[in-house]
Amino acid sequence: MEFAATVVILTCTYALLAAGIVILYKAGRVVNFAHGELAIVGGYVFYSSGLMGGDMSPWLAILGAVVFSVIMGTFIFATMMRRVVGEPFYVAILITVGIAIVLKSGIIVIWRAEQVTIDIGVAPAIQLPRGATLSYMDVASVLLTIAFFAALYLFFTFTRLGVQFRGTAENPLLASQRGVNVNFVLSLAWVIAILAATLSGVLYGGRAFLSSESVTIGLAGLTAALVGGLDSLRGAVVGAFIVALAQYLTVRLIDPVLSEALPFLILLVVMSIRPWGLFGTVEELDRV
Amino acid sequence: MARAGTNLRTSYLESNEVLRRPYQKVLIAIVLVGALALPAGSSAFFVHLMNLCFLASIGALGLMILTGFCGQISLGHAAFLAIGAFTTVILSVQLNAPFILVIPAAAVSGAVIGFFVGLPSLRFRGVYLAISTLAMHYAIIFVATSYQAKVGASASAGISIADPSIGAFRLRGEYAWYYFLLVFLTLVTLACVNLVRTRPGRAWMAIRDRDIAAEALGINLTRYKLLAFMLSSTLASVSGSLMAYYSNVVTVERYTLDLAVIYVAMIIVGGMGSILGGLLGAIFITLLPYGIDNLFEFLPRAWRFGSTVFGVQVGAVGVCIILFLLFEPKGIAEIWRRTETYFDRWPFRYRPLDTTRR
Repeated sequence: MEFAATVVILTCTYALLAAGIVILYKAGRVVNFAHGELAIVGGYVFYSSGLMGGDMSPWLAILGAVVFSVIMGTFIFATMMRRVVGEPFYVAILITVGIAIVLKSGIIVIWRAEQVTIDIGVAPAIQLPRGATLSYMDVASVLLTIAFFAALYLFFTFTRLGVQFRGTAENPLLASQRGVNVNFVLSLAWVIAILAATLSGVLYGGRAFLSSESVTIGLAGLTAALVGGLDSLRGAVVGAFIVALAQYLTVRLIDPVLSEALPFLILLVVMSIRPWGLFGTVEELDRV
Repeated sequence: MARAGTNLRTSYLESNEVLRRPYQKVLIAIVLVGALALPAGSSAFFVHLMNLCFLASIGALGLMILTGFCGQISLGHAAFLAIGAFTTVILSVQLNAPFILVIPAAAVSGAVIGFFVGLPSLRFRGVYLAISTLAMHYAIIFVATSYQAKVGASASAGISIADPSIGAFRLRGEYAWYYFLLVFLTLVTLACVNLVRTRPGRAWMAIRDRDIAAEALGINLTRYKLLAFMLSSTLASVSGSLMAYYSNVVTVERYTLDLAVIYVAMIIVGGMGSILGGLLGAIFITLLPYGIDNLFEFLPRAWRFGSTVFGVQVGAVGVCIILFLLFEPKGIAEIWRRTETYFDRWPFRYRPLDTTRR
């Protein structure tokens, strides 16, 4: 039972990250190398803003996380990503690498890189059969993840903005000529992606702890996105499950040290056999 | 007629000249003489900083060839440095091999690993290639970590390495290293300059600008891409090996992804596609943390508290990457080029010819 619980939580964490990476890739053909950092900083913001009123208050924390996502997403898009459209491909990637370092230094300077476990103080734990425990926060976060994906699905399928979103992903130029506010759509993509990352950072911080080292979850998220296919949200969930399962099994059965390198071994295998991932579109690929 | 001479070429041989402007020879002579005389009047710490700059420059030139000239993004440069360092450990600590043998061995092992890391570049480009080099980084670092654990060295203390000796001469102390590295870097720079203006260099630039067109021109993509990867990893590996000898210690902790990003920062800040840029960027990024440390000296004591300085040092590299990419994408080398053009055209203020436009 503990096995199942851990893998499910880990899957949720990675799926949210991977979803953000997929959304950003679809929206602007940018692979975000700063996603892990965004997640962990989001987790820290959630933690600190929750403590602002003295005791841990979930509502303040959520408010803080949302404000962080909106400001961060708009800022990154408006000041950086908007300006590099049409530049060589490496410019956008390397800017996200730069963002990653700046955020990491933010963790060191602002939070002194201390290890933080997020505990929103809702009743301790549910006992599952066979000695596994599951906190209410875990349950809440699994439900939140499901709700997030459901909302995303409904948003893309049924709302006007969602359709504009898909249009922009397909062809930004045509979309803007048909009256879609491409800049708004793209900055919204950043906000949604960072919101998802923050949620995943909170999940991770609730289960383990946040520190400047835990930004490596971004790389697991990236692997999950690639395994599933960089342009497929459905693939993100499946990819996350595969990575989470493989990682858990490696820690338990083989060698904990290997588990950090493991996502990349999966990555190398997937990229040499099926580079477009499980659900990705074949012609999307930047291949030689 | 200096003004006509810089852009007007009357033969193919002329377009191959390294130093087109008459004062460039003077400038290089001044720099070289200055570099030779520099240790005489400076402290051991300053010479140590220059040594770090030289070591970084060797690695940065390697990455410049791969990314700046051949257009292949690599996030695996730290792993190549690690290969050099660990080759040094294996050969000099375990087998007692002399310095003269270890450096070529590091070069060879770097080239071999570079060949394999370069293989994905035959199938992917762009983002996918960057991710595959990232994967290689973790694979190589995993092997190095296991090796270090097997040898029984703790992660923080590392494995210590004795000072190298060439013949009877023992290479130790900042000043001896300074002259050794200066000569070494000069040779490497000369080799790189000549490489990028001859056939391989032109092939790489063609691949960078448009690989399909390059192939149509008869350039063997497989060969030149792999050559770029191998050369780049060779230089990195040699730099890593020298670094290991210089610092007398090797630990896998040093070869993080952040280090790879720092090397990427060097070539961005210096200027993609310019050897001069590689050198300037390496010096800039190497000195940056020390400059920040000095700035903090001016602040009240409280500000230097704890890890703030370290955090700012880390973040400054990221800020440099972002600002340069947004506002000066061709780096310091481009500023230098603009200044040169300005004086070439003086007193007229024509817009500089954008001769390097991609």
